[in-house]
Amino acid sequence: MNPQCVKAIAKKDTIAAMRNSLVLMGLISGILFAGVYYVLPASVEETFDLAVYGESQFFSQFGEEEGIAFHPFGSPGDVEKAVDEGDYVAGLVLPENFDSLLMSGKKPEITLYFDSEQPENVRTSITYFMELAVESAALQTPLPQMEGEILGEDMAGEQIPLREQSIPLYLVMALVMEMWTISTLIVEESAAGTLRAVLVTPASPSDVILSKGIVGIGYSLLVAVAIIILTQTFRGDLPVLFLGVLLGAILSVTLGLFLGSLTENIIGSYIYVGVPLLVLILPGLVILLPGVSLSVMKVIPTYYLVDAVNQILNHGAGLSDVWKEFAVVGVFDVIFFFLGVTALRRRYS
Amino acid sequence: MIIEAETLTYSYDEHLAVDHISFSVDKGEILGFLGPNGAGKTTTTKMLTGQLIPQEGWAKILGIDISSDPKKVHERIGVCFEEKNLYPRLTVRENLKFFADLFGINPDLDELLKRVDLTKWADDRAETLSKGLQQRVMFARSLINDPDILFLDEPTSGLDPISADAIRQIIVTEKRKGKTIFLTTHNMMEADKLSDRVAFINEGKIVALDTPENLKLKLGKRALKVRMRTQTGFEEETLPLDDPKTPERTKDLLKTKEVATIHTQEATLEEVFIQLTGRKLEQ
Repeated sequence: MNPQCVKAIAKKDTIAAMRNSLVLMGLISGILFAGVYYVLPASVEETFDLAVYGESQFFSQFGEEEGIAFHPFGSPGDVEKAVDEGDYVAGLVLPENFDSLLMSGKKPEITLYFDSEQPENVRTSITYFMELAVESAALQTPLPQMEGEILGEDMAGEQIPLREQSIPLYLVMALVMEMWTISTLIVEESAAGTLRAVLVTPASPSDVILSKGIVGIGYSLLVAVAIIILTQTFRGDLPVLFLGVLLGAILSVTLGLFLGSLTENIIGSYIYVGVPLLVLILPGLVILLPGVSLSVMKVIPTYYLVDAVNQILNHGAGLSDVWKEFAVVGVFDVIFFFLGVTALRRRYS
Repeated sequence: MIIEAETLTYSYDEHLAVDHISFSVDKGEILGFLGPNGAGKTTTTKMLTGQLIPQEGWAKILGIDISSDPKKVHERIGVCFEEKNLYPRLTVRENLKFFADLFGINPDLDELLKRVDLTKWADDRAETLSKGLQQRVMFARSLINDPDILFLDEPTSGLDPISADAIRQIIVTEKRKGKTIFLTTHNMMEADKLSDRVAFINEGKIVALDTPENLKLKLGKRALKVRMRTQTGFEEETLPLDDPKTPERTKDLLKTKEVATIHTQEATLEEVFIQLTGRKLEQ
């Protein structure tokens, strides 16, 4: 290895990459995507807000401790409109003299409105709750007492907001986008024939590979830090978080080296990089989707990175908690490094 | 000897590109390496510059086996490629500075740019330059480390006559400074004008290696072409110089005909090549 050559190539690649609109676009879009953070809800809503028209002593006895808040409206039309506009989970319209009708043994008709975006489980829960409450009122019996036991740490009031859950996604996206940078640098070097010119100077194939790796890791870390600053994610064990980001950057760069070695033209590189890029982002997306099992993602290297970053940022995990995930990412780093270097050395030789 | 090649051989699968060729080049000499496309010129150059490892034979550059220690050789050679291979997003100056950095040197880039008449374009990106200007940048790049040997592959290709002549002047200057030059070209006039010796390569083999004069004398046709006016226009007669009857016939023509021009018809390297191989160089 020749340090002066590594330095020269890394400097050249840094300048060339910044003047490449595609690379620059990848770099900036990775950061800009983190802007989605500010669109996502900053807190977890633990109360069902219901719009209500009509008077009833039965419903007024349920306070927010049951997780339902009733908001009175002046007309059935206002209730319907409020729910339709998505301001309330559901709307309840009671007929005139609801309580007396109920007490006289009649079956007053209640209308429930649901926002179309509410999932089925929310609609079913509210419906059941209303039926139980009305039945209890009609029969003059109290609601059954149930003792709920929380298994594990009680997160009531401390649930992780969606915006905080989404940070591993931005980090993973930004890191894997650098696969694009590194493979573009490699493919361009071959396609333009400049590699031949470089290899008849004191620079060796190892110098070329190492310098591109340094540039790729540098860009990855730069983007990751930008995202951390942009989302103000200064929590958790930051040194451990940076170790995870570094391992992720190495993963992205080594995979970029390998994928960049598979083709000699830019269009080909888009195909070779594009598909794995989407796959690698998946674990970051799945973590945001309730009900989707992350275990099916365990074959994707970035799963372990997402999992570790999530634990560090959102569950206060330290190195002793995430070392296994880091070890798996590290193993993938080593595998892709050898695959990439072997393929590139073969091509450059 | 500055360049020594012994039974160099290289095949691409079944195709024998270079077939046991041997030659040497002395210090300060320009060797013109001529041959049609696919004759083995580029493969030979690649083996001499360490881009390919010979499958048989060996090459020593500056006394160093290129296969065993290519990086030591690369520090002392300059290579100008035929295909354009500059960094398109870097300026002319940045391209040259990058290669200077690879060699760990700090040459006077302004002086180098002036030598190849690129000062005006120093801060233009390579991608905006014409083919001819890019060729000049690549030529300048091959000089950046003040190399002992220059490997030049079609250095004047795509250049206008004035620029091409300027490059040829630099090649002659480098030779005068004692630099050895391995010149691969299709341009017969260029090879004839610049080379101390030329090697003809055809189907992977060197078919002739000598000075241009010797090759033309040995293998060329020596003739005299006489052009005469007639009532309807012109007529020509070609007289072999080595024929004993030629002086008498020339006198006769001068007496009896209205001779417009008389030229000696020296064989060209192209004709010598065709005579040796039955192929044209452009093929």
